[in-house]
Amino acid sequence: MKRIVFASLVMMIVTTVGAQSDDDVEVGMVEKLDQYIPMDARLINENGDTVVIGDLIDKPTILNFVYFRCPGICSPLMEGLANAMDGNDLVLGEDYQAFTISFDPREGTELGVNKKRNYLNLMKKSEQAQKGWLFFTGDSANIAELTDATGFRYKPAGNDFIHAAALIIVDPKGKITRYMNGIYFLPFELKMTMLEAAESKSGPTINRVLQFCYSYDPEGQKYVMNITKVAGTLIIFMGLMLFLVLVLVRKRKTSNV
Amino acid sequence: MIENNEVNSENKSYLQEDGGRKGIFRWILSTDHKRIALLYMYAMMCWFIVGVTLGLLMKLELIAPGKTLIGAQAYNATFTVHGVIMIFLIVIPGLPAVFGNFLLPLMIGAKDVAFPRLNLFSWYIYVLGSILVISSLFGNGPPDTGWTFYAPYSFRTSTNMLPAALGAFVLGFASILTGLNFIVTIHRMRAPGMTWFKMPLFPWTLYGTAWIQLLATPIVGITLLMVAGERLLGIGFFDPAKGGDPLLYQHLFWIYSHPAVYIMILPAMGAISEIIPTFTRKTIYGYKAIVLSTLAIAFVGYFVWGHHMFTSGMSGTALFAFSFLTFLVAIPSAIKVFNWIATMHQGSITTEIPFLWAASFIFVFMIGGLTGLVLGSLATNVHVHNTAFVVAHFHFIVFGGTGFAFFGAMHYWFPKIYGRMYDKSWARTGWIIFFIGFVTLYGPMFYLGIKGMPRRYFDYLEEFHGPNIISSLGALVLVTGFLIILINLVKSARHGEKAPANPWDGTGLEWRVPSPPPLENFEEIPVVDKATYKFD
Repeated sequence: MKRIVFASLVMMIVTTVGAQSDDDVEVGMVEKLDQYIPMDARLINENGDTVVIGDLIDKPTILNFVYFRCPGICSPLMEGLANAMDGNDLVLGEDYQAFTISFDPREGTELGVNKKRNYLNLMKKSEQAQKGWLFFTGDSANIAELTDATGFRYKPAGNDFIHAAALIIVDPKGKITRYMNGIYFLPFELKMTMLEAAESKSGPTINRVLQFCYSYDPEGQKYVMNITKVAGTLIIFMGLMLFLVLVLVRKRKTSNV
Repeated sequence: MIENNEVNSENKSYLQEDGGRKGIFRWILSTDHKRIALLYMYAMMCWFIVGVTLGLLMKLELIAPGKTLIGAQAYNATFTVHGVIMIFLIVIPGLPAVFGNFLLPLMIGAKDVAFPRLNLFSWYIYVLGSILVISSLFGNGPPDTGWTFYAPYSFRTSTNMLPAALGAFVLGFASILTGLNFIVTIHRMRAPGMTWFKMPLFPWTLYGTAWIQLLATPIVGITLLMVAGERLLGIGFFDPAKGGDPLLYQHLFWIYSHPAVYIMILPAMGAISEIIPTFTRKTIYGYKAIVLSTLAIAFVGYFVWGHHMFTSGMSGTALFAFSFLTFLVAIPSAIKVFNWIATMHQGSITTEIPFLWAASFIFVFMIGGLTGLVLGSLATNVHVHNTAFVVAHFHFIVFGGTGFAFFGAMHYWFPKIYGRMYDKSWARTGWIIFFIGFVTLYGPMFYLGIKGMPRRYFDYLEEFHGPNIISSLGALVLVTGFLIILINLVKSARHGEKAPANPWDGTGLEWRVPSPPPLENFEEIPVVDKATYKFD
């Protein structure tokens, strides 16, 4: 409960700060949509090896910045992410992946591995998550490069940090396509976001239908049904059906002909 | 071909057949397509008289600068209600509901439309919708948004906007159901031997129109519901303050309302294509070209709506695309005009009344069409946008096109409908006065528009005075002509001399049945063995 209160407190700070212009933002998310993350940034993976992030991003990827010792919103955020990934029908690690990156350079690999084990225990799709949800640490230079490029602004407060809760979505080329703010994510919205980030990559047809019918509402920051598109399609579909029935179904013989 | 279908005097006509009902119930409970057609016509005539009165009121207000008869608010209400009545109650349903209903089964050799009860139901919806529209005149004062109900003003105005918009919404259903009825009728109920390309041109245009009615009308229905949601529930579809988009309204509105122009004009073209061969005693020139151009207009007409919004702030690409498509849609219309003229070439023309209407239709339609290209070009559009030029243009098309064709059709099929002939010399007098009045009324408005007189104002600068006087006098002449025509027709329907089955020596199936036709049209469903428009 304390965590949630703290989380809402931080969210309040974030939203108040968000009202100011981008440059003044000390803590929060400055959206850098359509910009690229530095694909040559180096991180340390779960085995303690140094890897180049660009080599790993080959599918839609969720980035989220936390620090593993975090007493505040990081845990609800990661729980929210775990739930959303569990709840949609895309295959984690195949259709998309998630990177959780510690922005505290003092933290080591082992902390991350432990964290990952905890969350995997919560998940139904823990097997997929084993290879699809990766935890990283990094040195201060690389972390600064990444958080800067994604607009993730945070501030140390004693031993801890004040920071925002958000998921940053990048496409397979490293371009930022969407920010999902908050700590609760609807599995459906996560799925739509991933489909959108997948760009030209082919997926099941039903996904294309979903993408056609729903569009992103930047104001409410969620996916909404595009009523004009759906209504238009229905009208044309029914018209086509009527035409086909009239042309293809044979006329019944009437008695007086 | 007429001989073997002699009028059988024992058969009662549809006007005598009362279905065992009395008084007004003979009409309002009848599912006979011919009676329903007349029900539509009488209702429309009432509204038309209201619409004409409002139009005349505006022209009289504009006879001099400053306030002459009505003030600004009353003027705004007048042009709004005039537009709503004329567009939604008269020209959109006009030819399909009246002549389509009456003639479609007769022309394709059927006993009725496919769904006669649905047909009557459509009429009730039409009446309900018209009452809603008219009810907007009372209460908080008539709407003042213009017939287009543009957002954001349409959900801010304190006037009676909702009844008018809801009326238009309800009227849409009458239109959709009539369209559906006609599509099924044409597909399923053509007489044996009447293949698609032996079908007369008026049913062909009804077919193209019916598809537009069916597919485009739901869009305006949804749009008007959205306006209602905006006004009543405060949902921000179109309100920029709530994240909505006023431009979206314009898009949605014109996606319907531009094809609606083709709902008006296509059947008008169909009626003209029937009249011209009959009075030139020649097969129509380029039958297939006319059919294909009908379908082309119906199809391309869907993609030109943006030309109403050239100054609304669309992207350059959208502007070019819509302008180009607008020029494209002019081609099939021009093909038709070419074909009508070519039909007259070397024909033996008799200048009967319907032919006079058809010829004057071509005249005003050409002026309306060519000035449409001025509006379809991006640069000139900016200059004349929202001026009297636009008003002149669409009255030449909508009133000149649909109206002249309606009166032409009326004088052509009148003997079939009532079994009586009208007084030809009064009809001719009415026509020439109407025609002169029409050109005098709307002609000067082209000039005024180019000179910069804006539309939709009750007042204007002194420099516009002269042409406005001419225009207002033209309105009086036009109304005089209209009254002569109306009185002549009403009188003749009761007391005119009896008309034969085929007074004009027409070739269509409708001329093979007695005038007025019996309840079930054909005693025996005819077999069609040759193309239509074959004259001996």
